Amino acid sequence: MFNTLQLPSGHITHRGARFVNRFLTPSLFWLAVIALVLGSGAARAESGVPNAVPPVGTHKGDDVPQPIEFPHNTHADVNQINCMYCHTYARRSKVAGIPPTSKCMGCHSVIATDKPRIKKLTEYWENKEPPPWRKVHDVPDYVHFTHEKHLKRFVFDNEGMQVENVAEVCAFCHGEVKKMTVAHKVKPLNMGFCRRCHEANEGPFDCWKCHK
Amino acid sequence: MSLSNILEDWSRYRKGHEQGGFHDYEHMWGMAIDLNKCIGCNACSVACYAENNLPVVGREKFSKGQAMHWMRIERYWDEPDLGDDRVSEFNQHGANFIPMNCQQCNAATCEPVCPVAATYHTPDGLNAQVYNRCIGSRYCSNNCPYRLRFFNFYSYYEESWPAPLEMQLNPDLSVRDKGVMEKCTFCVQRIRTVKDKAKMENRPVADGEAMPACAQTCPTSAIVFGDLLKHYDPDTDAPETKVVKTWRAHQVELRVTRQNKQNPDLRGYRVFEGLNTDPCVMFLERVREV
Amino acid sequence: MSNKVNRRDFLKIMGWGGVGATLAGCDMPTTVTLEEGKEEVTSYMIPEEYVIPGVGVYYASTCQQCPAGCGLHGRVREGRVLKLEGNPESPINRGRLCQMGQAGVQAHYNPDRITRPMMRKGSGLTTVSWDEALTHIQSKMEGVSGDRFAWFTDTVSGHQAVLMDAYREAVGSSRHYVHEIINNSVSRQVNQDMLGDPQPRLRFDKARVVLSFGADFLGTWQSPVHNAVEYAAFREAPRGVLVQVEPKMTLTGANADLWVAVRPGTEGVFALAVANALSAKNPAMLDGLPDKAKQLVRRYDIKKASRITGAAGEHIVKTAGWLAERSPSLVVAGASAEGHGHGYDTVAAIMLLNVILGNIGETIEASGAFPFPQLVARTGGTRDVMDFAKALDNKELDAVFFRGANPVFTAPESLGLRDKLGKVGLKVAFSQFEDETTRLADVVLPMYSAMEDWGTHVAAYQAGQAVIGIQQPLMQPLYEQTRGFGDVMLSLLKMRKVPGYDGYADYYAYLRDAFSALPDSLKNGASNDEFWASALQRGVLEVATGGGSLTAKVVDFDLPENPASEGAYTLVPSARLGLWDGRHANIPWLQEAPDQISKVVWDSWAEMHPRTARKLGVKTGDAIKITSANGSIEANVYVYKGIHPDAIAVPMGQGHETYGRFAKGRGVNPVKILALNTDGKTGELAHHSTQVQVSKTRVRDSMVIFGGSETQLGRKIVATVTADVYERTEGEA
Repeated sequence: MFNTLQLPSGHITHRGARFVNRFLTPSLFWLAVIALVLGSGAARAESGVPNAVPPVGTHKGDDVPQPIEFPHNTHADVNQINCMYCHTYARRSKVAGIPPTSKCMGCHSVIATDKPRIKKLTEYWENKEPPPWRKVHDVPDYVHFTHEKHLKRFVFDNEGMQVENVAEVCAFCHGEVKKMTVAHKVKPLNMGFCRRCHEANEGPFDCWKCHK
Repeated sequence: MSLSNILEDWSRYRKGHEQGGFHDYEHMWGMAIDLNKCIGCNACSVACYAENNLPVVGREKFSKGQAMHWMRIERYWDEPDLGDDRVSEFNQHGANFIPMNCQQCNAATCEPVCPVAATYHTPDGLNAQVYNRCIGSRYCSNNCPYRLRFFNFYSYYEESWPAPLEMQLNPDLSVRDKGVMEKCTFCVQRIRTVKDKAKMENRPVADGEAMPACAQTCPTSAIVFGDLLKHYDPDTDAPETKVVKTWRAHQVELRVTRQNKQNPDLRGYRVFEGLNTDPCVMFLERVREV
Repeated sequence: MSNKVNRRDFLKIMGWGGVGATLAGCDMPTTVTLEEGKEEVTSYMIPEEYVIPGVGVYYASTCQQCPAGCGLHGRVREGRVLKLEGNPESPINRGRLCQMGQAGVQAHYNPDRITRPMMRKGSGLTTVSWDEALTHIQSKMEGVSGDRFAWFTDTVSGHQAVLMDAYREAVGSSRHYVHEIINNSVSRQVNQDMLGDPQPRLRFDKARVVLSFGADFLGTWQSPVHNAVEYAAFREAPRGVLVQVEPKMTLTGANADLWVAVRPGTEGVFALAVANALSAKNPAMLDGLPDKAKQLVRRYDIKKASRITGAAGEHIVKTAGWLAERSPSLVVAGASAEGHGHGYDTVAAIMLLNVILGNIGETIEASGAFPFPQLVARTGGTRDVMDFAKALDNKELDAVFFRGANPVFTAPESLGLRDKLGKVGLKVAFSQFEDETTRLADVVLPMYSAMEDWGTHVAAYQAGQAVIGIQQPLMQPLYEQTRGFGDVMLSLLKMRKVPGYDGYADYYAYLRDAFSALPDSLKNGASNDEFWASALQRGVLEVATGGGSLTAKVVDFDLPENPASEGAYTLVPSARLGLWDGRHANIPWLQEAPDQISKVVWDSWAEMHPRTARKLGVKTGDAIKITSANGSIEANVYVYKGIHPDAIAVPMGQGHETYGRFAKGRGVNPVKILALNTDGKTGELAHHSTQVQVSKTRVRDSMVIFGGSETQLGRKIVATVTADVYERTEGEA
């Protein structure tokens, strides 16, 4: 352990640098090691998102049975519906939100009404109870994560970024959901995952930015 | 050599505030509490319970000193009023009330003793406690001269919030479990919300926008809260914050262990500042006619 | 590692090493992640307007924790109300709240709420359906008419009161008993007789001297938050002086520049002595007073007054000096002055000071007539509960509806309400909690909490701009089987076939209609819908009050030659900001908030002067037994110099036999053993005049006092400067 402390304290220019210097230098060493082991995703990624280094890390998620097997691919890929059309709170709140059932019915009272999944949806709608969706992506209760600021950084305030391509930003943490039916967790969403991305994209480093 | 590097680092950290500060602070949240106005009514304390998911520990645990009041009203009687009643018969000048919450020291005595860096100073000038990092060594509370750190000796969530009381819990901060130290955060969740909002609107945080629950509810407005770094800016013409104005009016300075006031009659002081804790909370002395 | 490592250094290194190790840890692929699919996510069927998950939205409402009627903002997130804050638009509290207001959410989410209607079948209460309960009430009420029916409530106002009146009038009864043990009924009567206005507007912010006789205006008197807001202005330079004269230190007394202990019941003498001292300097002050008043003022010179009251003569002189030098001033009277057989006379003597100091019209302003008399607050004190007991004795009542008030707990045991209530055929309790009165009811109707119900409120004390406070639900009801008070009243009115209420589906519809019917002058040209929306959004509706003016008529009064009682101790049932009269004893936050003066939590205690303690041979923490002619209570002693040696103070609020897990079996209730003495002129209970014997008793569990040291031990924690320094440095210059 002590040999890591011999690293010269480098000049990191972004905000919170001194904090990083003081507390994190030893772990930066390990970070470098791990990044090498993982094959340096930053260099390899071919992201359609300008001014961004996608986060690195994978996770093999369990199958999560949902009340209706929602086909993300049909909506986001085949029909090219923007993620934020349904997950409408993402740009305004910490949570992206599950679309209200009324939003589903906005289209599906006329589209594909004969399909079994839509019949099931209509049943929920007529019984006036939302489908009991199960949570796939979650962070622990002591973590403060806000969608709106990440969207601001990578989409709305990101020069050269097209809002139509927002799915590529979502994919940073959620994987290629548009290729999935029901969502799978394919990124680890742990602190190391967050931290690597904050480092690569010069995000804030203060503990209290994310811990509550 | 590594050890000397560390020791040098360490000494720089401890004395940093004398050389103009250790951090590149974004903000430095601070308070000015006017004891001329404080009436000791407890509204701040209960507001804190409501905002910060503080558990009610009950009579038994309270008697063991395990109460979890981040903001508390201390009440002191004048010395002669406790002595022989044949010398001073009545308590003529009332009680001495003082609201005590974490003083958010810039040279906090609690920070350096944490073995896992669960408590540290944020770029907002706050003395932070990261709950999920805390291992419960309690060194910090041992070291706090104000006794303003509170330890979860039990898992309170089962008995403190019998259903449906738990529905009141604020989702913006954790419910702390057994074995974790906690303390006043200046309602960091409120500050965070305000900063996020300002950032989304691409503007600086306005004075008075961030407001901890205690300052918000204080019936006599005795608590002034704001950013101690926002002095008058001639470039943008942004005015100084109310809290800076108050500190300056009372000639109280940060980063000193003894105030060197031009007018020593001014009321501002910091509790135990001689201990070199450099608190961010300034009190204005209580006033009595006689 | 050539350096010598001592223990300190070692600790430091361990610290840094720990950092490295643990932070590196979060990069490890083994770090814990959450399991997927274990939790459900709730989505909306149809999104509510303005509701964004994860974002708190504030809605305006009106606080129901005490009768002051402060405006609220409730923070609502994901359909739950989380936190209450003051509504800055309300002229009463101007964005501030007291601890009781803050704790309103715990009254709402309280685990001990009644969730289903109940009826007495045999000896116990059994759960029934609403239909059964209401049908039972209706069938019983068919046989009741005229004054055989009565309402028994705490302070009520607004449209709830209108519906209560409608029902009462439909039955043909004129009886509405209003009971508040913390009240200012005697002062209201004196104000009415002297000023022609029972509740004038008091300007603490304008006064340079406030002389208060037991009026705990920062704690429990009239409108505490409003008074505290004005107090802040009062304390700004030029700083006002506060003199508090009372037998037991209240929260206001603890903030006084000069706190004067007087023997219980001698406040009037102190007031007359101050008038005497003032007139000695300026005899013209007494011009225009009736001869009898002049004689009374002359009767109490400083020496005599000092002997009777037990206060130092220099304090009378000092007080008179401040009043003579600084103007305007304000003199107020509270519970400890009112609560005696000569309470009316004491308050009249105190108000005399306002007359001779010329404060009427200066710091005491006319409140003006509220334009909607049907909405104003029905206030009361303790006379009604004694009238009620008399009516029960005479078997004058067949049916009583209770709402808010809990007289079995907040009236002296010797009134015998517990037994007498058994003679009433139908007792209906509109209640949220099973309190001592509700437990005796025949039908218990579970009410919505203040966070679930609609309502309008007009505070008894209108602060400057008069307002109607609007109460709107801050969330969906927690329990299916609870109902709103207005809704139930409409059901009962419809069942009784009272004309005019058939058209209203619920209380909301009734309120909408009532707001549409308000005069156009209030609506500023807005449509009815816009008007309603803006009233809801702002939470308060300003109404213009008629000008009104005050008279300065000195009423006929007389003080007994020596009003102090001899021999025994006087029991002071002190009111406490927090538990109030006991209605908040079931709120854990308020139980755990230390009393402002003694710092005791979760318990009752008895305050005592060191001289008394020495005489009895007790010290702080010892147990004593306090015995009156009507029973006895036991409590631990808290010894300090904030009480007169002739007084023993026990706070109200504890001593519940029921009322949920947080309140039950905790402490004692001093109201229980009060004697049934009354004020000679108003008939109010003389609650500060009970004579008691005190004896040391067996050791009970020691009470819990918060805090370590009673003094600062010479440290600079609370520093104090004198007012002349303050004026010099921060005064207007």
